[in-house]
Formats: sequence, C-alpha cells, structure tokens
Amino acid sequence: MASIDLDKMLAKIKSTQWALSDIDWDAPGAELITEEQWPKLKDFMADLMWIEHVGARAFAAMAKKAPTDTLREIYTYFHAEEQRHANAEMALMKRWGMLEGDEIPEPNINLRLVIEWLDRYSDEMPVYVLGTVVPMLEIALDGALCTFLLETVKDPVCHQAFEKINDDESRHLGVGFSVMEMQGRGKTFIGATKMLAPLLDPRLMLGIASYVPLLNKMRDNIITMGLPEERLYAAMAKFEKIGGRTEDGRRNPWYQVIRQHAKFVVNRNNRAYHVPVDGMVKLTGLIPRRALPAVPSWVKELTYQPTA
Amino acid sequence: MTTSSASPKKAPRKVATRKRAATAKRPAATKKSALKPASVLIVGAGFAGLGMAIRLKQAGIEDFVILERANAVGGTWRDNQYPGAACDIPSNLYSYSFAPNPSWSRSFSGSQEILDYIHHLVAEFALESHIRFEKNVEDLTFDEKKGMWTATTGKGEQFAGRAAVMAQGPLSNCSFPAITGLEDFKGHKIHSARWDHDYDFSGKKVAVIGTGASGIQIIPELVKQAKHVKVFQRTPGWVMPRPDFATPQWNKKLFEKLPASQQAMRNLLYWTHESMALAVIWNSPLTRIAERVARLHLRRQVKDRWLRRQLTPDFTIGCKRVLVSNDYYPALQKDNAKLITWPIARLSEKGIRTVEGIEHQVDCIVFATGFDVSHSGTPFPVKGRKGRVLGEEWEGGAQAYKSINVSGYPNLYMTFGPNSGPGHNSALVYMESQLDYAVKGVQKILQGDLKMLDVKEAVQRKHNKAMQKRLAKTNWNSGCKSWYLTEDGFNATMYPGFATQYAAQMADFEENDYETA
Repeated sequence: MASIDLDKMLAKIKSTQWALSDIDWDAPGAELITEEQWPKLKDFMADLMWIEHVGARAFAAMAKKAPTDTLREIYTYFHAEEQRHANAEMALMKRWGMLEGDEIPEPNINLRLVIEWLDRYSDEMPVYVLGTVVPMLEIALDGALCTFLLETVKDPVCHQAFEKINDDESRHLGVGFSVMEMQGRGKTFIGATKMLAPLLDPRLMLGIASYVPLLNKMRDNIITMGLPEERLYAAMAKFEKIGGRTEDGRRNPWYQVIRQHAKFVVNRNNRAYHVPVDGMVKLTGLIPRRALPAVPSWVKELTYQPTA
Repeated sequence: MTTSSASPKKAPRKVATRKRAATAKRPAATKKSALKPASVLIVGAGFAGLGMAIRLKQAGIEDFVILERANAVGGTWRDNQYPGAACDIPSNLYSYSFAPNPSWSRSFSGSQEILDYIHHLVAEFALESHIRFEKNVEDLTFDEKKGMWTATTGKGEQFAGRAAVMAQGPLSNCSFPAITGLEDFKGHKIHSARWDHDYDFSGKKVAVIGTGASGIQIIPELVKQAKHVKVFQRTPGWVMPRPDFATPQWNKKLFEKLPASQQAMRNLLYWTHESMALAVIWNSPLTRIAERVARLHLRRQVKDRWLRRQLTPDFTIGCKRVLVSNDYYPALQKDNAKLITWPIARLSEKGIRTVEGIEHQVDCIVFATGFDVSHSGTPFPVKGRKGRVLGEEWEGGAQAYKSINVSGYPNLYMTFGPNSGPGHNSALVYMESQLDYAVKGVQKILQGDLKMLDVKEAVQRKHNKAMQKRLAKTNWNSGCKSWYLTEDGFNATMYPGFATQYAAQMADFEENDYETA
C-alpha cells in the first residue's frame, strides 16, 4: 500500500457516500438467522456496534488535532462514517429482532469506561496516539470480525450492508496507515521519545487502564462466539506487516508500542500480561453501574432509523 | 446576516409596499435623461450609495444620479428581512454621524428600524428625485477621450457621468450553495437574504443550513414558530453575549435635546470597538480574553458537554466574523430543535442526507449560507483605460489604492472596495471615510475640469504590498477558511488596522499619487 494522496482520498470519500435508506431493511432473508445463532449473534453485534461507535468518537477527537485541513475533514467524515456503521449494525439488530423497542443495546462496563474516557480526555490526546490504536482496531474489525460474521450469517441484507461498511473501512485503513507513516517520517531517536512522552500523562494512563481490559473482554467474547483465534493472529500480523512496510512506519514509536501490545493480547499464553489484565476485567466488573455518570449525549445520537 | 458589522431584523411587507408606492410617483428614466451626463453616477441605493449622495449634496454637488437595480432603496437591509434580522453593531454607531437618529428603540436595532432610518435619509436629504429605480447596471465603461463613465443597464439604457461611484455593496448577491442534490429536494427552499414572507412555518419541520451571523439570528425565531428545527452546522463560530437593551424614553429625549450627548455615546462606542481590534484583528493576550469570554458565555448557556464541544470553534477568535447572540444557544436546546454536525452528503427528495447515514426529512430548508462575495471579480464588467477590464485584472485577487481607486480606471470610486472591511467596528465608520475621500476626488475633477484623475500604478502597488504584509500578521490570515479570503488564501477583503488608522489613511487626498489629464 503506497502512501496516498489525501486530497484525492477526501474527494473519493465525498463521492462514495451511502445512507441507511439505500438498503431495504425489510427485504427477505432475516429468517436465515438460526435459533442457535441468534443469542450469540446478538452479543456479537452489540459489541461490534459499540466498537464502531467508540471508533467514531476517536475519529472525532483526531479531527480536533489533525495536522492539516484535509486530514481534519477526512477524520470528520470518518467520524460520521463509523457512526453510520454503528447505525447500520443497529438496523441489522432491529431486523433480526435483537433490539427491545427503540433501546440502544446496553454497553458492557468496560465499554462504558472507554466511553467515559473518550468523552473526557480523548480530545486532549496527540493525534498519533489514537491514530495508531484506531487502525489496529479497524484491522481487527475488518480482517477478523466482519469476515467471520459474513461467513456465518447468510442473510443477504447483512452482506449488502457489510459490503458498504467494508468499502468505507478499507479507506479508513488506507488513511490510517498513511498517517502512521507520516508521523514516523524522519523521526530521530529524540523525536520518537517525545512522541512516547504522553505515556506519562495520567489522562492517557487512565485511557490505557480502560482500554486494556476492554480488549481482553472482547477477545474472550469473540472467541466464545466461535471466531477462530487464528483470525485474530492473522489480523495482527496484517497490522504488523502494513504498518511496518516502510522505514517511516517502523520509525513511528506508537506503531511499535501498539504492535507489541497486539501481540500480547492475541497470545493467551502470555501470562505476565493476561493474569493482571484479566484481573482488571474482574475488578471493573465489580464497579456498580450507578457509580458511573450518565452516558454522554453523543451516545444518544445512535439510531437504527434510516430517516429522522 | 454577515455584513461586516451589520445584520438585518424583520422588515416585512409593509416597507416593500411603501417603497413600491414611492417608486410609482417617480418619473421613469427616459432616453433624454439617460443621455444627459451627470457629474456623478452612483450605482446602488443602499447605505453606501445614499451616503455618497448626501455627502455630495453637502459639498454642493447636486448633479448626480443613483442607479438602483431594485424598486426600493435599502440594499442589504431591504433584502435581508428574515425573522430575527438585526444589526450586530450598536445602532448609535451603525448610523451616519452626519445624520444622527436620537430615537433608536434598542441598542441593537432590527432591520425594520434600520430600513426606516434609510428611508428617513432619503426624505431628510431629498434624494428621491436623484434615484432611478429598476436600473440594473450591467456594464460600466470609461471613455478616455471624453473623460466620461457610461453605465448600461440590462434594458440597454445608458447613463453617463464624469465620475462614477460603485456602491453596489459587497453583500448584495446571494445564491443557494453548491450542495449535491440541491435540485432533487422537493420541499420549500428559502435563502436568508431573499426571505419568503408568505411561507407559514407553523407545524413545519424545518432545516437551517448555516450557523453564521444570519443563521444564528434566524434559528431562535424559527424555533418559536416551527414544529421542529434541525440546524446543520459545518463550523461553529465564536459567539459573544449581546448587550441589547430597549432605549429608555428619557434617553431618546436626552439625545434629541442634547445632540452632544449622543455624540458622546457614539464616541464611547467607537473607542470600545476600537479596543476590540486588539483582540480580534491581531493575536494578542486580549484575544485569549475574548475567547475566554465567549467560552464562558457558552458554558453558562449550554450545560451538556458534547453540545458544548460541538459549538466550540477550533480557530482563533476574529479569524472569521465574531457572532453576537443571547438567544442562539438556548434556542438550540429547545425540545423542538436539534444541532446536527454530521457533514451533509447530499440533499434528497425529502430532506438532507448526512454522512452518518440518516436522511433528515423536512418540509423546508432555510439556507443561511451567506453571500456571493466577489474577491476576484466585479459584479458587472468594468472597463477602464485602453480597454482594460477590471474583472480580468482582479482574477488573482482584488486590489485597489486605499480601497477606493484602481489604477487604469480614472474617476471611479468604490465603497467597500478591496481591503476596506472592518472586523471590529462599524462598517459605516469606514464608509464615512470613503465617502469623504470620494467627494474630494469628485471636487478635484469638477473644479479642475479634469477628464481624468487616475491613481498611479506604482503608488497602488506600493500600497498593496504594505497592505498584504500587514495582513499576514492578522488573525484573518491565521489559517481558517472564511469569506474574507479567496480560495488561495488571498485577503482582498479586510483592512488590517484600527478604524482610526483607516480614517487617517483616507483623510488626505494626495494629488501627487494621481495622474491627471
């Protein structure tokens, strides 16, 4: 994947927009979801939808800190597109009878913590922090989760929706890796060290503390649903390969951090990592819901309705 | 609306009717009157054109003709009659010092009252007989041999004058923005600068596109009337509180009986606004204070963190026009209003599709998207010496000498020409300097019986070099996209300094800067 022309990419993004109303959500095929599949799929879709939604919020934060006007506009579009994916996934859930009335699926406690962090601190983070985490999550979504979903679900409407979602995601990844390389370009040792300095920022520490158990929890959920573990390995390998395809990419210290972390996550045998993190999952599970503040209002923007 | 220092309020049909009646009394332009050259031709009967006429009269020059494309005076204030339209500069400053009005009903008057003031100017200074309505100038050509400008209207009528004043206004043209699917939308479309007073908003779902000076005035009014209002915002602006009060009766009486007290008030307002230049034009510690005030205003009026984030600008205050409103933020939080910040993908038959995949279906779309501000052309062909065409010369960005003259176009004066826009003070303060400068030029032409008074090219070049150098240090050129700048980022709009500096620049008419014949 060569470095891309961001102006052309922005024009392409603008010219390839789609809406929920482009899809007939009442078309036949919903009955192809088996009874056995249904409960697992419900949890899977809820997780997927929430990941898209927090990804959307991350793009909103990146738009604030984007180094150029073009990139700012691209991230503004990506913010909306990720929201569109979450909306479309909710529309699928509605189609499959997985939503109770108009209710948004309840996010698990780890997601709630990440949402809280994004709401409070993400706008303050340098663009390269989220700019490296997001492509990693997207490659996991694109390369593992969505592929798995399409292999197991026969509903043609699901395939139609994900064809559009995947087209968007491939552009997100293209921009994501390009920006990672931009951030690593010509980085000296001192420059790279400076880029890692936010690791000492307590706000980022809080972010890591909410993100790390979320990943473990999601990984376990996904594996329980039958996703072959190899898929996650393959996705991480893809991240490592594309992110490190150039000298610039490899010089981005955040690429190195995220790559290493991704390896830890997918390697269940790494007890030094997983024992404490699983402990954190358990610990966060003890947090009473009422101790958390009300969900931020951006969460309420989610909708499965194609028109409003 | 987004006039520099101006923003129009309710001025509906009553005025239009009255104006049509006035027009009916006026004799239509005949071929005979068209052929007789005037001393001065003025294009436009808005604030600028009428102000020019008054100053000419006061200087003893009565032989002028005002060509107005519409059938009524008022320009921007005639056209911008949307609900809530008002001036965002205090009326005691947004009025001519040579024609004070002691009776302004509020500190920030609505467009109806401003329009009434403009009508008062016409009556007070007996300008009506000079105005030729429905004369849409489509060409302005200078005849070097005769030393004469000829204006040709769309109907082929011609009017000649020894000097010409382009007072058509920078904010006189508007159009719907180039949004994909504009023609697909089957509902009602209204542009803020061409309000449809016959459309009943009650019970309607309405979308407003644009949150600039016009948008933030329209939205609170529509929220009161419509069933639901969706506000589509691309970039939030800085919004300052608006110290708007009804003028007490005693105050009006005081201004009437003791004009010096109104002048004192005007001076106070003038210097207060002048001090704002330090915050708005240049990036200084005062800029941070101004931003802090705007943030506090937002925080006080909006409790939701996400909404506050959506409404927080990401550019230096002053880079775009600073907005003033007390009711915009509260209106957005009403149950029947919603702010949408998703980018617009396209318009559809039933509404607006945004990038998050949702189609927002509405009955009516209000476009509060501003004006077609020309940075690089002219509103109609202007042809100077040796067949020069001003629009062509300005393709890379408009340039003039002291904003008022252009070399190669003798005896031509511009109001709100290149680099005359204020960001912090009343547009009319700047205007007065321009009018008086033009009067001096016209006097020189008439008294010296000159065929040509043309600013030297080298003088103009030197002036603009200095201007652009100064502009580079201003907030306008600090990186945001605004209507002040061309697509290439050239600032042909704003004056980089205090109004006092501008007035000083315009105070002297230096003959040596001009070539005469």
